[in-house]
Amino acid sequence: MGDRELLLEVRSEEIPAQMAGRGAAELGSRLFEQLMALGLTPSEVETGFTPRRLLVIMRGLPEGQPDRSEQLVGPPVSAGLDEDGRPTRAAEGFALKAGVSTDDLERVETPRGEYLAAQRTVEGRPSAELLADILPDTIRQLSWPKTMRWGAGLGPWVRPVHGVVALLGGEVVPFELFGIRSGRTTRGHAWQAPRPFEVRDAADYRRKLARRGVVVGFERRRERLEKEFRAQAEELGGSLVEDAELLDRLAAVCEVPGVVRGRFGKRFLELPREVLRSSLRDHQSAFPVERNGKLLPGFLTVMDRADDPAGRVRAGNEWVVEARLADARFFWAEDRKSSLAEHARRLDRLTFHVQLGSYADKTARLEKLAVEICEQLGWKRERTAARRAAALLKADLVTEMVKEFTSLQGVMGGVYARADGLPAAVWKAIYDQYLPAAADDAVPRGRVGAATALADRLDTLVGIFGLGLVPSGSKDPFGLRRAAQGVVRIALEAKLELDLDLVAARAVRLYGDRLERSGEEILAALRPFLHDRIRHLLALDGYAYDEIEAALAAGVEHLPDLEARVDALHRVRDRPGFLAVVLAAKRIANIVKDAPEHRLDEGLLKEPAERRLAADGSELRTRTKQAAEAGDYRTCLRLIADFSDSLEAFFTEVLVMDENRELRHNRLALLQSIQRTLSRTARLTEMVVDKAEYRRRQREGNDQE
Amino acid sequence: MNSLQQMILALSAFWAERGCVLQQPYDLEVGAGTMHPDTFLRVLGPEPWSVAYVQPSRRPADARYGENPFRLGKHYQLQVILKPSPADVQEQYVRSLEALGIDLKQHDLRFEEDNWEAPTLGAWGLGWQVMLDGMEITQFTYFQQAGGLELDPISAEITYGLERLTMFLGRSRSVYDIAWVPGGVDYGQVRHQDEVEFSRYYFEVADVEFLQSQFDGYEAEAERCLEAELVLPAYECALHCSHLFNVLDARGAVSVTGRVALIARVRRLAVACARDYLASRERLGFPLLPAGEPGAA
Repeated sequence: MGDRELLLEVRSEEIPAQMAGRGAAELGSRLFEQLMALGLTPSEVETGFTPRRLLVIMRGLPEGQPDRSEQLVGPPVSAGLDEDGRPTRAAEGFALKAGVSTDDLERVETPRGEYLAAQRTVEGRPSAELLADILPDTIRQLSWPKTMRWGAGLGPWVRPVHGVVALLGGEVVPFELFGIRSGRTTRGHAWQAPRPFEVRDAADYRRKLARRGVVVGFERRRERLEKEFRAQAEELGGSLVEDAELLDRLAAVCEVPGVVRGRFGKRFLELPREVLRSSLRDHQSAFPVERNGKLLPGFLTVMDRADDPAGRVRAGNEWVVEARLADARFFWAEDRKSSLAEHARRLDRLTFHVQLGSYADKTARLEKLAVEICEQLGWKRERTAARRAAALLKADLVTEMVKEFTSLQGVMGGVYARADGLPAAVWKAIYDQYLPAAADDAVPRGRVGAATALADRLDTLVGIFGLGLVPSGSKDPFGLRRAAQGVVRIALEAKLELDLDLVAARAVRLYGDRLERSGEEILAALRPFLHDRIRHLLALDGYAYDEIEAALAAGVEHLPDLEARVDALHRVRDRPGFLAVVLAAKRIANIVKDAPEHRLDEGLLKEPAERRLAADGSELRTRTKQAAEAGDYRTCLRLIADFSDSLEAFFTEVLVMDENRELRHNRLALLQSIQRTLSRTARLTEMVVDKAEYRRRQREGNDQE
Repeated sequence: MNSLQQMILALSAFWAERGCVLQQPYDLEVGAGTMHPDTFLRVLGPEPWSVAYVQPSRRPADARYGENPFRLGKHYQLQVILKPSPADVQEQYVRSLEALGIDLKQHDLRFEEDNWEAPTLGAWGLGWQVMLDGMEITQFTYFQQAGGLELDPISAEITYGLERLTMFLGRSRSVYDIAWVPGGVDYGQVRHQDEVEFSRYYFEVADVEFLQSQFDGYEAEAERCLEAELVLPAYECALHCSHLFNVLDARGAVSVTGRVALIARVRRLAVACARDYLASRERLGFPLLPAGEPGAA
């Protein structure tokens, strides 16, 4: 390990916020990997970024590569030495090439025979020289989502580059990048402190940038901003409306982090909280401030400067915020001139999909489908509310507010329904309809919300699948994966004992003759699509791949049942005996694989082990049936695990493929019956058994006995 | 500096001093300064080019009967093209703001990612919306492709939104209140009737069949011009098509699938014009290339 420090700064025009962070991290890790491969592993890597610079600092770099010795293999001994053991021309030529004298050649054994070889010392290269080689290419080759060219064909890179600082142990590492020579000169903020200055090393760099207000570390910028936001929110008399994503976004768009505190007219507080928040957040990247759950007429955002001496930044932001809010208030007033039900009447002018009809057509289907879902779930009292929510579900798409703030779709409909005085179950269902949109979103509140959200997604899935437009690879223009994921999450988290096949079949019928595929074709395509989402979500919950496959293979009646079976497998798989039963199940599957159904004749059972298997099997069948009907799959699987002794005894003592045809068929019948019993909860043959693990367990089991 | 015409004068003087050709608006209806042939066609090929001009830009769908304080069916852009983009183009832009009397020691100026794409022109670029104290005042773009052709050298396009900038600096509540002449005629007096009448025209009166037949006619005419190797007249026809499409769209006469088809038709013309324009400049020996440059006559 060495004691050299590398300081690398690439200065450019503004890199998009979310890209700069990833770019700096990638630059650090790529450099680290390359240096490691060259034998120059640093002890410490630090990265940082602002919109206008990427920074990598490495510490503990060696001065250079150590010298190493290298063996060169030359001609075979037969060709390299003559009969008297003197070097031939070939050996001399090789020695010359290797830079040693012929006396220093040695004989080495290789798989192809004895060869002449030379040992040669390769001098390690100095780090500075190696860095001068690898830095420009590494910077050029960063993998940006989108690159550009500039000037007379410079680039490609994410944005035009303006300067490079590259210092190793305080000395410039010389190279050229996009027509710019590396050096020790950098600048502060591009137009507040543009005068160039020189830096000696990382500490000097940091000190001099800090003097100019630039904070290169993203985390430090975020911490500083968060602290300042909280302090300023208090000065406004409230507290910050938490929003970690917005804070990240704001910390990434400035290098001289400063907070702007502004106010807006109290008259805008009559706008719903959702609208105020969206307007501030989506248009102005600003935090609202609240007290006792009520928003205050103020906001906080960032500026890329330390202070606001003449108050112009605040005044400007206030002007823009008020203009935006005036817009929102205008939309609110316009939209409120009609009830949501009146807006819904205009849905016939809004196309859902050319072949699938307008949103009015969709609404008509949703009303029926939402009621169908309630009926299947036995939710009699929710039917009316579900129909009302479904009728208004998409109405906000024609409102001015949603045209302006598309991110408010659904939420806005809920707000308008609430303002129209509709029951809580109805407006909440409309409000929550797009949940869950992201992984950490909750599912819709309440039964009406679940029923309408499911109806909406299944209608879309069935319609698009019905046109044969199944998503493939990264192409999913209708967001069907997210829709399917929503279906699965809602069914799992709200524990809906709903047969999705039945609902989907109804959804198909509601389309009338609009679809191009038959109901069977649609279901056959939709089922595996939903199963993929189920696999994904259950795997996220920590269930193993084979547990999910085994449970899926036994059939899906409804998702909570499937999850209960996966969970039971997960908990029981380590129980003594379970693995043995899995192996036995695989063995049974192999034996009965091609056999037709046979009838069991109890009278033909003659070996004690087969009589015992038949008797225990019959008891197991009764008891697992009871447990499964009670939904107690863990007991079910425990009983199955405890069955291992009977199975093992059978396979040890009884030959299934007996010469006697009758006996053979009867034993096959017995195994077929056992197979059905074992498969009740899960198709055990899908379970992966680690044989070594199995034997180890067996040994441990024996030791205990 | 808070009247529209001072803004125009100051920016024009600023860019003229920096060697730009001070061009005039294109005398056809266009959606943006980018569609002016002195941008769309001149950014193609190797010839250097610097130009600045005001371009009235029509966005029929944004018309609001003169009732919305921010939205207009026609607004004014001040468009600058610098080809190849100079290394200090951002700095030059910042200086231009200072020429408008904006003291950056007192303001927050930020460049936020905002990439530009014009499907009807087969054009895209990377760049930013420039935010002054939280207000978007300029679009700044490095053109990467136009008419489906990769560009080399690259042009920088700076598009100032003149109404917004004037409103913001004067803290006006409505675009119609901004001064056109300092202390004199205001924007509403010059333009309000125009907004009201054209809103009615775009949304209520425009004859869909007529517009459609115009579209078809100009498309055919563009083809004839291209066959006759008249690329500039062909491009004018393509611009007519683009505007007619915008009016049809505002009129609500374009279905979702129809939309895709119409955009594809305009794009096809724009791509053909770009290709033929480049060929025509090559035939002329790229007259604007400095003598001695490869490709120069």
